[in-house]
Amino acid sequence: MQTSASTAPKGASFFSETPDRIFTVEDFSSDDRLMIETAEQFSRNEVMPHVEVIDKQEDGLMPKLIKKAGELGLCGVDAPEAHGGLGLGKNLAARILEFMSLNGSFSVTYGITSGISQVGLALFGTEEQKAKYLPSLTAGETIGAYALSEPNSGSDALSATTRAELVNGQWKLNGTKMWISNAKWADLFLVMAKIDGEKFSAFLVERDRPGVSISREEHKLGLKGSSTARLVLEDALIPEDNRLYQPGLGHHVAFNALNIGRFKLASMSMGPARDAMGLAAAYTDDRKQFGQSISNFGLIQKKLATMAALYFATEAMVYRTGALIDSAFETWGGTIDGNRKASEEYAIECSACKVFATEAEAWIVDEALQCYGGYGFTEEFPIARHYRDARVSRIYEGTNEINRIFLADRLMRWAKDGRASVTAAGDSWISELAGKALATKPTDQIRVGACSDLVMLAYAEQSARLRAAQMGGAGAAMYDLFLNVANARAAEAYQWATGESVVLPAAKSVDVAELARRVAECRGPVR
Amino acid sequence: MRILVPVKRVVDPYAKVRPLADGSGLDTTGAKFEINPFDEIAVEEAVRRKEADPSVEIVVVSIGAGECEEQLRKALAIGADRAILVETSEAYDSPSIAAELAAVVAAESPDLVLMGKQATDDDNNQAGQMLASRLGWPQATFASKLELGAGKATVTRETDTGTETLEIPLPAVVTTDLRLNEPRYIALPGIIKARSKPLERRPAQTTPRLRTRVLKVESPPSRAAGRKVASVDELISALKEKGVL
Ligand SMILES: Cc1cc2nc3c(=O)[nH]c(=O)nc-3n(C[C@H](O)[C@H](O)[C@H](O)COP(=O)(O)OP(=O)(O)OC[C@H]3O[C@@H](n4cnc5c(N)ncnc54)[C@H](O)[C@@H]3O)c2cc1C
Repeated sequence: MQTSASTAPKGASFFSETPDRIFTVEDFSSDDRLMIETAEQFSRNEVMPHVEVIDKQEDGLMPKLIKKAGELGLCGVDAPEAHGGLGLGKNLAARILEFMSLNGSFSVTYGITSGISQVGLALFGTEEQKAKYLPSLTAGETIGAYALSEPNSGSDALSATTRAELVNGQWKLNGTKMWISNAKWADLFLVMAKIDGEKFSAFLVERDRPGVSISREEHKLGLKGSSTARLVLEDALIPEDNRLYQPGLGHHVAFNALNIGRFKLASMSMGPARDAMGLAAAYTDDRKQFGQSISNFGLIQKKLATMAALYFATEAMVYRTGALIDSAFETWGGTIDGNRKASEEYAIECSACKVFATEAEAWIVDEALQCYGGYGFTEEFPIARHYRDARVSRIYEGTNEINRIFLADRLMRWAKDGRASVTAAGDSWISELAGKALATKPTDQIRVGACSDLVMLAYAEQSARLRAAQMGGAGAAMYDLFLNVANARAAEAYQWATGESVVLPAAKSVDVAELARRVAECRGPVR
Repeated sequence: MRILVPVKRVVDPYAKVRPLADGSGLDTTGAKFEINPFDEIAVEEAVRRKEADPSVEIVVVSIGAGECEEQLRKALAIGADRAILVETSEAYDSPSIAAELAAVVAAESPDLVLMGKQATDDDNNQAGQMLASRLGWPQATFASKLELGAGKATVTRETDTGTETLEIPLPAVVTTDLRLNEPRYIALPGIIKARSKPLERRPAQTTPRLRTRVLKVESPPSRAAGRKVASVDELISALKEKGVL
């Protein structure tokens, strides 16, 4: 059952209210599941066997994979039907993305071309612009990129210095865009530049325009198979019609693409975590020490069970958020203004998902590597790659620091405007702490960041609790274990936020061995 | 040409399942269900025929409870034209399935029944043969290659002594082996299109008369730990001790 549009809760309302039910992955229809299955099969058969050559950026391989994905309809799941997309919801698109993301390098390539590079166009483009560029992007015949960052403008994105000037009916662009994913094989770049050095605006730049060039590849810690390079614009000339949306309102395009992008990045970071869990479960069953499988040992079981619990909570909050976003698009979407409103409504939830999911991913790949012992530290085993690849998730689409600042700042601002309430629902111990911490109206960054942690944990806890009640089965045990972890984290955050002491509730008792066994049985996240 | 493809809903063959505590069956809570993989190969093969010859019509049929719609929709998404769900809550064994399929064949008059050689849940490997015998049609089992000509089918089957090629007149029953093809990824637009393809629910025409009954389901006993021997001599004496040599 999809949350119906008319009753969709307002952005950030999780903080002050407890809904009766939420959308969870268990609610995807059998059609949806078939599509998700296609994505998983694609990953398992077309991507995972080739991760080594992918990491070497073998010539032409990545565009070939994208094309193949496009032929199956995977490159435009939530793009408009009129322009070659399937017109399906963003939540389903995100779940598909999760399963397309088992390998980090392919994930970014696919995630950007089917996501953030298209979404700006789909939400803010004119019919002509959409008709010109979307069909080939959704077909996987061309590849898109998103170019916001610059050498001296990263987190402070609005300080960009790339300039645009209208000269004889063409835009002339000058500047350097840094860290551009897909640069090597992209056909179309969504570029942010300032008109006359002032009005922040978005432009559609085709790769083969005069004055457009790509620098050498960055030499990266991970995601070696994804392309990251600079886009250099030297008197680059593009048609006047290729400005996207209004002059001076490029930040609407950039940041709303980022809101959706952050939500989707949460899904992207769950893919590798999912795979890492499966690998750790299989390896610890296989590996014998002291005459038995190391999966018999309590500390290994604790790792596997905690992975399952973290994953469970992440899944609960991410796909709850996706359903909310879908309901916002159903209510307001269609017009450019409506699209803007829809992609902005759940910005707080999107940031919470981004931070929470990427940190869960980091924990899971790290502990999965630990399960492998010394073998995990070598390139002979697949877990080292996951470990390296996952590192960047906490850096891009807004660093986790920037997302933390944004999250609590925005909630307090919305509260001031009467748009949201910071009176906590009080439906959990964490919620109570969060309410008390926010009531101190923190201003310095450390306290604000700690408040963000509390808000994020409250959202995760509530989502996990509701999901566990709805699904039954192993949900209860995963929720209990998650609650123990989340309470401890919340206690620390509360201390940072207020400086006050706090007494942790007693831990729930959990059958860790049984949960670990379920991870092994499911070869990954517990269903 | 009309091809009838029976598809069975089975528990995901890669999932671990446990018996119910009272041994009356399997605990399928939370389990994933699939098209029996051999049947999926049959659907794939039929769709390839259709791609080569658009006049081919593919009808898929499943006998079972309402949930079988899921597998039928999947077959439609792969490319079948329409589906029949023979709705029943009864238990069936192979002879009863063959009898009910014969009724479907009578209603649909296909030129070819293409079906899995066995289902991964019961591994019986007899429904196809029983159906052919009931209909009095020729049969070719374990097909690893299939060619359709005017009024005939040429089927290659792998046997212990090599490959065997049979030519049989149509209508006929052909059962599929794993090597026949590799089913495709199901394209997303196909899944959307399948929503509007016809799926007809029919009551069963026959009453199953079970000749076999499942009395009890239990896990195989866990294997006791073995022991290591240091030499061939020790191995031989150990085997003699056990009376195997
Ligand atoms: C592999 C890869 C792919 C990328 N792909 C793209 C892409 O396709 N398109 C694109 O536009 N960009 C892309 N990026 C860029 C990415 O979005 C930026 O790296 C990121 O936004 C951070 O900017 P920065 O690197 O300049 O770090 P900085 O902004 O210099 O930040 C450095 C550190 O300071 C912290 N910090 C900064 N400001 C504050 C503050 N106000 N308060 C507290 N802490 C702060 C940050 O959190 C961080 O820890 C990519 C980056 C990488 C590594």
